[in-house]
Amino acid sequence: MPIVEARGLTKVFRRPDKGPGLAGAVRHLFARRFTDKVAVDHVDLSIEAGEAVAYVGPNGAGKSTTVKLLSGILVPTAGDVRIDGLHPQRDRTTVAHRIGVLFGQRTQLWWDLPVSESLAVLRDIYGVDHATYRKRMARFDEVLELGEILPVVGRKLSLGQRMRADLAAALVHGPQVVYLDEPTIGLDLAVKDRVREFFRSIRDEGTTVMLTSHDLADIEGFCRRLVIIDQGRIIFDGDLEAVKDKFARERILHVETAAPVPLETLRTSLPGAKVEAEDTPTRYAVRFDRFAMTAGQAVTTLAGLTELVDFRVDEPSIEDVIRRVYSGELVLG
Amino acid sequence: MRTVRLYLRLLGAHFRSLLEYEADFVILVVATVLMQVVNIVFLAALFAKVPALNGWTFWSVLMMFGAVALAEGVGSLFFDGMWSLAWQINRGELDYFLVRPYPVALQSSSAKIGVNGLSNIVMGIIMIGTGLAHVDIAWTPWRVLLGALLLISSVVIKLSINLATNAVSFWLSSPTPLFAFAMHQVGDLARFPLSIYPIALKAALGAVLPFAFISFFPVAYLLDTGQSRWIGLLTPLVAAYCAVAAAVIFKRGMRRYESAGN
Repeated sequence: MPIVEARGLTKVFRRPDKGPGLAGAVRHLFARRFTDKVAVDHVDLSIEAGEAVAYVGPNGAGKSTTVKLLSGILVPTAGDVRIDGLHPQRDRTTVAHRIGVLFGQRTQLWWDLPVSESLAVLRDIYGVDHATYRKRMARFDEVLELGEILPVVGRKLSLGQRMRADLAAALVHGPQVVYLDEPTIGLDLAVKDRVREFFRSIRDEGTTVMLTSHDLADIEGFCRRLVIIDQGRIIFDGDLEAVKDKFARERILHVETAAPVPLETLRTSLPGAKVEAEDTPTRYAVRFDRFAMTAGQAVTTLAGLTELVDFRVDEPSIEDVIRRVYSGELVLG
Repeated sequence: MRTVRLYLRLLGAHFRSLLEYEADFVILVVATVLMQVVNIVFLAALFAKVPALNGWTFWSVLMMFGAVALAEGVGSLFFDGMWSLAWQINRGELDYFLVRPYPVALQSSSAKIGVNGLSNIVMGIIMIGTGLAHVDIAWTPWRVLLGALLLISSVVIKLSINLATNAVSFWLSSPTPLFAFAMHQVGDLARFPLSIYPIALKAALGAVLPFAFISFFPVAYLLDTGQSRWIGLLTPLVAAYCAVAAAVIFKRGMRRYESAGN
């Protein structure tokens, strides 16, 4: 049985239709007009225990709304959600013990309490015993280096410190399912790396993770499953590697030779690849399909022709693929 | 029990950080004491001219003032976060409350401590005590118990009205609790005997928003004064009704919660 299951999940927000300025606001008092905005539109999603799912989409596509529906924060307009077979509103407290939620844009720490106290309050709310809590904190500390931020009061934390503390806060109770909504937003690279390492460690312990992110580097090497949402609808749900194999198969080999080599020579020796000259006379770019030829073969062939000084292989990122999906240039599925 | 223990834990956490601002603490306490003193001076001046208000003596009205002050004091000291509900809804701060295994209303109400509540409670108790000392009641154990029950019910009614009127913020999208605040002001009328008011106000304070059960009816019953003193006995029932109604309104409201966009 899937641990998270959504069927026909729909959320419609009703927004007041106000004209500009005070006049518009006053007129709205008498003639109430509303526009319906469909934020999530018949989403079907089922996540198995232990899965790591990337949930991506452009701004305003309905990512956060989906997370709020799946965690029971919002009541769906239509359709329903089950967490481990439970109804998130009817069995709110039981579900609360099983899920952990992190909204990168918003902290759950108490602004007037030191981090250690916020975490201890959460420990008591979830009824985690002290021994388990200590063990868990020690483990979080290994990756997140919480020690230095524990005595700091919530409002004095830097963004990176806050996110680390918030990650610990979302996982205090050892939830089975974790929703991470933009967990690396605004973080510098060093902290991002640490946070990503932390994701891997919780995934490897068998926690089900649903990760929403703008930064697709967060999902590469972490999630096997990719779900893409656009305008409230799921437009792709499948294997991340398969998407890359299908749409990101081009590789670019950049080589630098000891002496200039005529382009024609290179082209005839590497049929099936596109060879172009780069900015200096001894640099070339070789584009090839990684299923037609391996990078090793290309390098060996070139090394047989001339002396190579340097080379580098570029892989297109999943980011390029998804950018093409958003722009409508590419249709997956 | 666990719910209560956890509640005190949540409040206690804030209390420690509150003591960091000692000056604020002292100013607030002094200000509320002063406010209650002004209330009493006003009351004394009134009764110096008019020996009885519709049959009610100074001491009995003092007890009504005391009951309102006490109920308000408990509301601010222990449940001040309720007054932040509109703001919490507007800012989407209920998101995390909703995914924690603890009642959402209690997470909201424990978000803040109103220190001024402390002086309201002390002054309320002093006013009720002074009033009791000056009136003639034949105390029996049963009467003491009943008095305590009436007092608790009175506090529960005030808290329930606070919760219900603040929960209206789920329907209004304003970030400030204007409706609840207006109703709170109406509640001040209950510091005087209900019998001095016109019929419409009597109905409003007695039935629609039963502020009169916080002070007037229980005091009338205890002092055995007024025309319909038996109504005071209904106070615990009214309290139960208010608590249930507030919980239902809050639950309904929660379903309308829309969070805030990122």
